[in-house]
Formats: sequence, structure tokens, C-alpha cells
Amino acid sequence: MLQSVKRAFLRFRRTSAFAGFILFLIALALNAALQGPASFFSIKSINTLFAKNTPFILVAISQSLLLLAGTMDVSCGVQVALVNVVIIMTGQEWGLPFGVCCLLGIGAAVLASIACWVCCSVFRLPALLASYALTYVIKGVNVLIMDVPQGKVDKVFYKAYDSQIFGIIPVSLLAIVLVLLLWLYVKRTKFGSHIYAVGANPRNAFAAGISPMAVQFKAFLLKGIIVGIAGVCITLMIASGNPLQAEDYGIRSLSACIIGGLGFGGWGSVSCAVFGSSFFVLIQNSVYYFFSLLVKLFPGFSVTSYWQNFVSDVIIFLGLLMTIVTAKGQREALKQGIVRQFRRSDRLYDQPARDGKEGDGNEK
Amino acid sequence: MKNNLTAQLSFGQRMKMFIQKSPARMAFIIAAILYLITIIISPASLNASAIGSIIMLTLLLSFASAGQTIVLIGGGMDFGVGAVMSSAAILTTTIMNSQNGHFVELLVVALAMGAAVGLLNGVCSVKIGLPPMIVTMAISNVVTRMQYVLTQGSPMGYAPPAFISSVTSRLFGLKFLPSIVLYALIIFPLVFFLLNRSRFGKQVYLVGNNPVAARLNGINVSRVQILTYVFSGMFAAFAGMLGAAYMNAARCQIFDEYAYNSLIAVIIGGTAFSGGVGTYTGSIAGSLVMVVLSNVLTAMGLAQPMRNIFMGLIMILLLILYNREKKVRQ
Repeated sequence: MLQSVKRAFLRFRRTSAFAGFILFLIALALNAALQGPASFFSIKSINTLFAKNTPFILVAISQSLLLLAGTMDVSCGVQVALVNVVIIMTGQEWGLPFGVCCLLGIGAAVLASIACWVCCSVFRLPALLASYALTYVIKGVNVLIMDVPQGKVDKVFYKAYDSQIFGIIPVSLLAIVLVLLLWLYVKRTKFGSHIYAVGANPRNAFAAGISPMAVQFKAFLLKGIIVGIAGVCITLMIASGNPLQAEDYGIRSLSACIIGGLGFGGWGSVSCAVFGSSFFVLIQNSVYYFFSLLVKLFPGFSVTSYWQNFVSDVIIFLGLLMTIVTAKGQREALKQGIVRQFRRSDRLYDQPARDGKEGDGNEK
Repeated sequence: MKNNLTAQLSFGQRMKMFIQKSPARMAFIIAAILYLITIIISPASLNASAIGSIIMLTLLLSFASAGQTIVLIGGGMDFGVGAVMSSAAILTTTIMNSQNGHFVELLVVALAMGAAVGLLNGVCSVKIGLPPMIVTMAISNVVTRMQYVLTQGSPMGYAPPAFISSVTSRLFGLKFLPSIVLYALIIFPLVFFLLNRSRFGKQVYLVGNNPVAARLNGINVSRVQILTYVFSGMFAAFAGMLGAAYMNAARCQIFDEYAYNSLIAVIIGGTAFSGGVGTYTGSIAGSLVMVVLSNVLTAMGLAQPMRNIFMGLIMILLLILYNREKKVRQ
């Protein structure tokens, strides 16, 4: 029993998610210590944490799918806002039932994703720049559909989102679990391994009889659906519509994935994104509690929210630096392991590591 | 022989060849066409002071994109330009505080700030091996938050009158010639010298084109790349100072959009995303296109959402023209 646990731990240590997992544990311990374990592990606090951050975690998961397939999309954030706007406006103008509105919203997200796929895969534009340009387009569409924040959601729905099943499990957690189950299924299919092949090297994948374009299309499709679910969650969370929210989700989800240990293309897994985004969430939470602790300890000490934002951004930046060092170590170990298998020459050991500097692995 | 060859190509291919042979020339042509459209739509916009403000904004953007050009040629990318510019603008209004005669002091502080941020960008993206886009964005976030922390959200002071008039007053009474041109007379030759006539420039091109070959030739690749980021930070800081004079007062995040605008301007100017190719002339032309484009959209009387949509679509179009990757199947 102990042996098998140890073996499982060793196996987990070699996976890409390990660095992200350690960071996640550190952030969790920090948050629990600052908030007080009793208060942190209470059902209410956990529920709030999930209810508030499920959309971001979902967006990070969808981003990780794209990163595995060797592309990316920084317009995820505005796509979430698009879903929100579509759901609210179709309900308000056409009087459709809420479920239909949600389906329409998810459809809108899928359409936006496909637009991004056309730019990145069909026109072969650099994914980062093309999706950044798309951010402008989608933002414009959002404001065209809904010019000022407005609208509301029925109380039944957002109450349900904020409640717990059996009094323990937050409903918002279900969305994450649903998406992860979907990914677990997809991973077992042929498409699951094709994603890794295309992400690592599209040319080799093509030579092996995989169509990179088709695989990336499926990845974008899946990403659109997940972003759609994130949009539904955010609609339930704020219970109204806002065309200009969540814009920074795109770039933040990207850095969350990298903190979690994902490389660009063919390396890592979706759990990296889960750990990375949870790290983000917990750090922000604990910075808030840290400052309220300071205020409690030193009477007369007051800080603005600017300081909180500053400190959490600095910590995120440091986390970014830290993980890449560890992830690089992993990659180095992997490379050296391969070299040792062949014993070609020892000179390879002292070659400086060359990481993909362009990012999306499509060069050369 | 050559004629035969070109005759065999289709119109589209010839068009593509023409565009890719000299992106700078092409960008100037696009800018001219766009300007013509502006005049047709609203003839009132053809006056000396409108041209003056186009020149003004173009030069401001081209100063900001000078550093971006160098970084892109060296194979990196700098999203911190906007944050550095905003910070420099805040420094300007705070240090000068509507009094003349603090220029040298400001120049030293602002350039040091730009160089420090650039150094951080460079070290993190080159030495530690992070993707440059992510790291420069994270650092620019930190810099932006710092602006809020240090100024409590509302920067003080105004730019002094002498500094303002050194940027915005018109030379020789000519309405279309703002005196920012005098700064261009310093900056442009400096950048051209850096890129085309100095050893550093040659090294930047080689490093961007082929880092391995550069290393084998005895070039310290990471030092050259870090230096490109430092230069980018310094040029951005200088542009931010002038921008503060143009805007008169500063607020947090005032120039943040310049990060993306400068990147697009540089790419329109034909600098390749993958490094090793590009000219500063192209970036100046690209800046002109960006400014004239925004003028056209204003002249058409489009509301902000439609402007956003147009801006995005045109950028995608430009990317399709210039920056497609190679086919997987060859």
C-alpha cells in the first residue's frame, strides 16, 4: 500500500503538473494560514471561492487545450463577455427561456472560436497577434449588442448557482468537474493524442498522416464550448450583463497556464492549467487577507486597494519566474535522460538550453 | 529572362512580391490612399493644422516604436512600451510640476527608469527563457500597478510651458510643422546609426536572424538581446516625456495603447515577427499608416464599437498581407 502510494507520488513528480501543484499547495497553505484554517475551510468560504472564480478557471482550462495544440487565443476574455451579453440580450429582447439563451451564448462563443481558428490555422497568422486583433473586433461586437451594462437573471438561477448540493459541494464546482470529465474522455480518444502530436511539431504530425488543421479545429471547437460554459457561469455570478468585463482573462489565463507548467505545444496537461489558475486565485485571496490582517494588527494602518493589486501582481510575476526555472529543470532532465539513452557524446550536456523563443512552436 | 519570369506570375503573386520587396514603400502608399479617402469623405480635414497633428502623432508613435523595432529585429517582443511611456509621462508632470528648467533632471530620471524596466524585461525574457510576450506583459502590469501605488491614482502637476511649446508650437509660423520635428532630428539619425552603422546594429540583425550562428561567431547573444530591451525602454521613456508635453497633464495608463499600436506599426513596416529582418524607415511608415487610419475612422464618423471592429479587421488584413507563416505542407 505504502509502496504504491510512493510509486504514484514519484510518477506524479515526473509529470509536468508537479511544479504547478507545489505552487498551488504553497498558495493554499498561505491562504489558509492568513485567513485562519477554521474560517477558510468553512463551507461558506469555499463556496464563495468557487462561485467567484469558476469562470476564470474554466477559461484557463480552455486556454491550456489550445496551448497543447500549439496555438493560443488571448481573446478568450472578451469571448466570455460576448456569451454574457448574448444570454442577457436574447432573454431581454426576444423573451426566450433561460436555457435557450445559454445555448445561444455557447453558440456565439463557438463562432468566435472558429473565427480565431480561421485566422490562426487557415491564414496561418501568428496566433498571439491575430487573436489580439480579434479582441478588438469582439469587443466592438459586444458593445454593438449591448451598449451599457444592464439586464438581470431570474433569482432562481443565480440562487441555484450560489447554493451547494447536499450542503457540501458547490454547484459551481460541478461546472469544472464536468469540463474535466469531458477532457478525460477526449484524452482517451484518438484526438487526444493527435493534439499532443500537432502541438509538438505540426510538420511531423502531418508527415504521420494527421491533419494539423483539423486537429486544431477540434481544439478550438472544444475551447469554444468551454468558454461558453464559463460565460454562463459568469452570467449567473454577476446576474446581469456587462459588455466590457473579463477582458484581462485572456492574458491572465495564458500566464496561469505557464505558471502551472505548460510549455508551448505538446508538453503538459490540462491539470497544469487547473493548478496554475488556482494559484492565481488563492494568491489574490490571500493578499486581501494579508492586508486586512495588517490593518487589524496595527491600528491606524490603512492601505488602498492599489497596494493589494500591486502586491498580487508582483507575486504572480515572481511565480512566473519561479515555475519556469523548475519547469526548465524538468525539461533539462528529460533531455538529458534521452541523451543518456543513446550515449552519443558528452558535449551535449554543456550546451546551453534553447527554448522555443517564438512561443507557438510553428516556426521552422 | 527576368521579364519572362514576372510575366508568368499571376497578378496576385506580383502584388505580393511588390509588397514584400519594400514594405516601407508600400506602407507609405497605403497611408497616402487612406489620407485620400479621408479628404474625400470630409474635405474640411485638408488643412494645415490637421496635417500638423498627423505629423505630431506619427512622430510620437515612431519614437515609441523605435525601441520596438530594435527588439523585434533582435528576435524578441516588448509589450512594456505602453507602461513605460505612461510612467515617464507621470514622472514628467511630477518632476517638472509646471516649472521650467528641470529638463536635464527629468531626462536622467526618466531614461534611468526606462532602462531599468528594459533591463528587467531583457534579463527575464532572455536569461530565464520565458516567452518574451508573457514576461513583458507581466512586468508592464507591475509597472502599471506601481503608477497607481505611487500616485494614489491621480498624478499631480502639469508639464511646464517651455517644454510644451518645445513640442507643440509650430516652427517658422508654418501650421503644418510642429516643433517635435526638432526632436526627430535627434532621434531618427540616432536610431539609423544604431541599426545600420554601428557594430551593435549588425549584431542585432545577426542575432535575430540566427542566434546559433551568432553565438558561433563569438557574439554574446544574450547581452545583445538584453541591450535591445534596454534601448526599447529608453526610447519609450523619451516618447512618454514628449507625450506628456503633448497631453499637458498625465494620468495612470495614459499611453498603454501604445504598446500594441507600436507593435502593429512595426509589423506594417515590414519587420518580421521572427527577427532578423526590418528597417526603421518601415516603422516610421507604419506609424504614419496607424495615425492616418485612425483619422479615417474618425472622419467616417464611426462610433467607438465600429471603430474597434474596423481596427481589428484591418489589422488581421495587414497580418495576412505581411506575416503569414510557412505552410505545413511544402
